[in-house]
Amino acid sequence: MIGLRDVQDFCAVAATIKDSQALAGLMAEITRAMGFRHFALVHHVDLNSAAGSVHIVDYPPDWVERFQARRLYASDPIHRASHRTHVGFAWSAVQSIIPLTAADRSILAEAHEAGLGDGFTVPAHIPGEINASCSFAMGPGEALDLDQLPLVQLIGSFAFEAARKLSRAVQHPCENPSLTERQAECVALVARGKTDWEISQILGIGQETVIQHVKDARDRYGVTKRTLLAIRALFDGQISFADVFGR
Amino acid sequence: MHIETGVARAMENRLFRSMFEERKRVFVDLLRWEVPVLAGRYEIDQFDNDRAVYIVIAGSDGEHRASARLLPTAHDHILGTIFPELCEDTPPRGPDILEITRFCLARRLRARERLEVRNQLVSALVEYALGNHIRSYTGVAEWPWFQQILSFGWHCLPLGLPATDQGRCLVALQIDIDGSTREQLRASGVFRPAGLADLASAA
Repeated sequence: MIGLRDVQDFCAVAATIKDSQALAGLMAEITRAMGFRHFALVHHVDLNSAAGSVHIVDYPPDWVERFQARRLYASDPIHRASHRTHVGFAWSAVQSIIPLTAADRSILAEAHEAGLGDGFTVPAHIPGEINASCSFAMGPGEALDLDQLPLVQLIGSFAFEAARKLSRAVQHPCENPSLTERQAECVALVARGKTDWEISQILGIGQETVIQHVKDARDRYGVTKRTLLAIRALFDGQISFADVFGR
Repeated sequence: MHIETGVARAMENRLFRSMFEERKRVFVDLLRWEVPVLAGRYEIDQFDNDRAVYIVIAGSDGEHRASARLLPTAHDHILGTIFPELCEDTPPRGPDILEITRFCLARRLRARERLEVRNQLVSALVEYALGNHIRSYTGVAEWPWFQQILSFGWHCLPLGLPATDQGRCLVALQIDIDGSTREQLRASGVFRPAGLADLASAA
């Protein structure tokens, strides 16, 4: 059992940490103090392709290997559920967030076999950044201490921010291209499925101009397809879902 | 950045009036908060008194883009009056502690502009604190916003456990501002230099 003082102490220490090994040590300590056995502090991306992403994991090694080999970072039901909510949730309640397929159920059963019991996942969504989460797991058959969960949620958030600071240090500073206002407007309309001619009518500019804006935007991202352009711009926060679906 | 003290003086100024209008669009129309609306267009509540300090970021066209309201914690404020139970101890009070409330980004802005103007407002809040001997800000945040507040890189601590109120998960927090805060914001890519002329005229 921990209390708010322990959370505050954790925050103070986490803010000063300089390397991921020290953070892993701090995480292991607080994980035990909260009555959990395992933790995972991760960006939901393929480790092989994402430099500067957070990946500090203390799960049963067998499960970590399978997770990587089968590229579950995108399809794992717990990760998917964490994209649908902002607040922490118990794994046993994942069905209240997303419908589970047969494949999902078998993933959860496998995790259980590999030594992961019930758990609690704290999503970490920062606009313009890859989705991430901080999870804590019990052993099989052990019950979550519901009274601890608000504290676990705080720990998860501060832990992710500490990890984010560390990963920022190794990241390329100016990774995301920036679009001009007009380009962003055009890309938002591309995302709405508009043709260049339609965009020209909506914005009251020439079709040639629209073609040029969209081409320039594609060049900035180094992509050739309009679909990919829209997705990249959404992901970076250059345009938002509100821009695409209207408000 | 533009600064004004007291609701009456703010209402005499077109920019600050448009802030109250935007607050209605954001907090009443979009977020469905149950707060009073004056004359059908201004969101003004009991904390908009003669002690409230308003900070507004205007665009190059002079229009309101973002704003926040600062309440002195020595007097009535939201954490002390409405949500004291969000704090494990008594809510922090003092002449050098202000509460940040009504952090508001204009609805018309697109995602990228929102991030930019959010960064300007956060930087302005830090400059205001440094220029006015404010040691800490307190505030109540909804959970999704809380992770963003942490991501600014400044020194932030929870004052209590997150709690659910009318379906929203709320948390009370304190942000300490000192000589290193600018550097912390810079490291997280949030820092934007504020208009110093505005600060001088406000002092």
